[in-house]
Amino acid sequence: MIQLRDVHKSFDVRDRKTRKKKRVDAVQGISLDVKPGEIYGLLGPNGAGKTTTLRMIAGLMKPDAGVIEVCGLDTRTKGEEVRGKLAYLATDMQVYERFTPREQLRIFGEMQGVDPATAERRGLHLLDRLGLSDFVDVKMTSFSTGQKQKVNIARALLHDPKAVIFDEPTTGLDVLTAKTVLDLLQVMKQEGRAVIVCTHAMPMAEDVCDRVGIIFDGKLHGDAAPKELLRSRNARSLDEVFFQLAAESETASA
Amino acid sequence: MRGAWLVLKKELLELSKDRKTVFFTFALPLILYPLIFGVMGKMAMRDNAQRKSKPSKVCITDPGSALTPFLQADPKKFQIVPTPEGNLTKALRDKVVDLAIDVPATANEDLKAQKTLTVTATQNSAEDDSELALKRLKDLLKDKDKTWVDARLKALNASPDLATPSRVEVKNAADLALELGKGLGIWIPYILLIGMFTGVMNHGASMTAGERERGTLMSLLSTRIPRPQIAAGKLLALFVLGLVSALANVVGTAIGFNTLAGDIAKASAASGTQGSASILQMASPATLGLTLLLLIPVAMMMVAFILAVGIRARTQREAGTALMPGMFVIILLGVFSMAPGIEKMAVVPYLPIINASVAIREMFGQQFNAVHYALAFGINSLLAIGLTAMAAKTLNREDVLFKS
Repeated sequence: MIQLRDVHKSFDVRDRKTRKKKRVDAVQGISLDVKPGEIYGLLGPNGAGKTTTLRMIAGLMKPDAGVIEVCGLDTRTKGEEVRGKLAYLATDMQVYERFTPREQLRIFGEMQGVDPATAERRGLHLLDRLGLSDFVDVKMTSFSTGQKQKVNIARALLHDPKAVIFDEPTTGLDVLTAKTVLDLLQVMKQEGRAVIVCTHAMPMAEDVCDRVGIIFDGKLHGDAAPKELLRSRNARSLDEVFFQLAAESETASA
Repeated sequence: MRGAWLVLKKELLELSKDRKTVFFTFALPLILYPLIFGVMGKMAMRDNAQRKSKPSKVCITDPGSALTPFLQADPKKFQIVPTPEGNLTKALRDKVVDLAIDVPATANEDLKAQKTLTVTATQNSAEDDSELALKRLKDLLKDKDKTWVDARLKALNASPDLATPSRVEVKNAADLALELGKGLGIWIPYILLIGMFTGVMNHGASMTAGERERGTLMSLLSTRIPRPQIAAGKLLALFVLGLVSALANVVGTAIGFNTLAGDIAKASAASGTQGSASILQMASPATLGLTLLLLIPVAMMMVAFILAVGIRARTQREAGTALMPGMFVIILLGVFSMAPGIEKMAVVPYLPIINASVAIREMFGQQFNAVHYALAFGINSLLAIGLTAMAAKTLNREDVLFKS
């Protein structure tokens, strides 16, 4: 469903002190395959290349080299169609606060090619599932972080996507709301969607993900089921694996 | 272009939720300009009427009483006050007197000897009351001059026409409407340019850097709408706002001018000079239509510039700061386009934006120049296309969109 083959991406960044441009390799030869009905956990420290990878999968950025396919569509040439089959929810995505959830869902439904009535029906169903049905006609300026995130999730899933990318879906949420989101991930898995979850919460990844991959310095390490990864690394938790990989990465760069 | 339409719809719906902005951008000009022009006109008229109803305070040194009786004979215009002690300049500046007149002691003898009588008047040209006093003195002497010249000619047995070898009779081809239309034509481009730019500057910053800052831009980009259509939708939304804002400013100004013209017409009619003037006489529907057409490429240029600059900024505040020089350029262009005689400069029809201002000015002055109009429309349209392409390209650049 989601396939990455030897994907590379680099950026020019300007050094604040010297004012000179330098090339940073954000993603270096990542390959992975997420199947329908699978939850894939993409882990890694800040600045490792996770968000860039996700943006490339969502067709928002183009890879410098390599191929990314979602539902058999090349993201480089079929970006719009890919976004029509994929839900992308990132940490830097917010709701239009002046709208009510109903208005936002109608507008985004239309933008995703769903007719307004269907978009509203699907959106309201999702909001009901997320426990927000009493607030559908309330302006979102007064919403809490969790309520806004729920609207965002409903917005992302409106068009019944085959593939789902959630970047830090539980960040800033209380335990109850986070549980609702995790339950939703399981539902999506059962519905046969391919799901990629990006998170810093290792215990959550261990519990929820069928497979995990850890990105360090733009390279993917240990693409395997959590238990398999623990066994191969002789570790008791994903945190421990993470520390081992961090140490290896530091040694390699030294 | 369905995507562009949906983005336009989203932008306008979002704006409509912000009632304060809607009021300040679109409704306020409709109230403010008529109020300013109305109050200005009324105040000027009242001040003028009050000044004219009062006699001028004049002090006079006239040992031979050659002029004093004439001033005393017209108490509605002149009130003779004692000559202030001390500094006369200070007395004039303090408005103790409006005019000081000095008539030589030999005035009567000079007149009898058919010599020129020289009267010295000290005034304060910075004060309207003093100017009026001087005008009244000149009018009085002009009347007296005629009597004195006639008397002198009669003494010589000569015709009164001897002193008037020629005379110019003036017939004015312009009417009050045309004169006011020319005045409006000077103001309109300035108000249009400023109105359009200020009307869209903040919205432009909000639709670009503001969306990035609020975290909604990424939501928009993650839909299946192609980026060129997102850019087109935002451009269209800003374009609509710019035109509506400019129209609100123009309508407000026109209503204000109409009120002012009405006041001037009333005053003119009262003094028996010229007739009435209304905004419809100042600008025909064709003039208004052609003005609107000319605004389209100018508005497109502005919104493309605002969008291209705004999307490069990290925050809405940064975008506002980055757009501020554009505001100064627009003010400069607006002021430049108001300069007298600018339409005579050969290079002006080729200068973007200014050429549109001048073409509008010509139309309101009932001097439509098809070549100037076509050049302004053509040059600005080409630039608008170029800038729009640049803005769309900028909105498609990863390094700009994902700037952190």
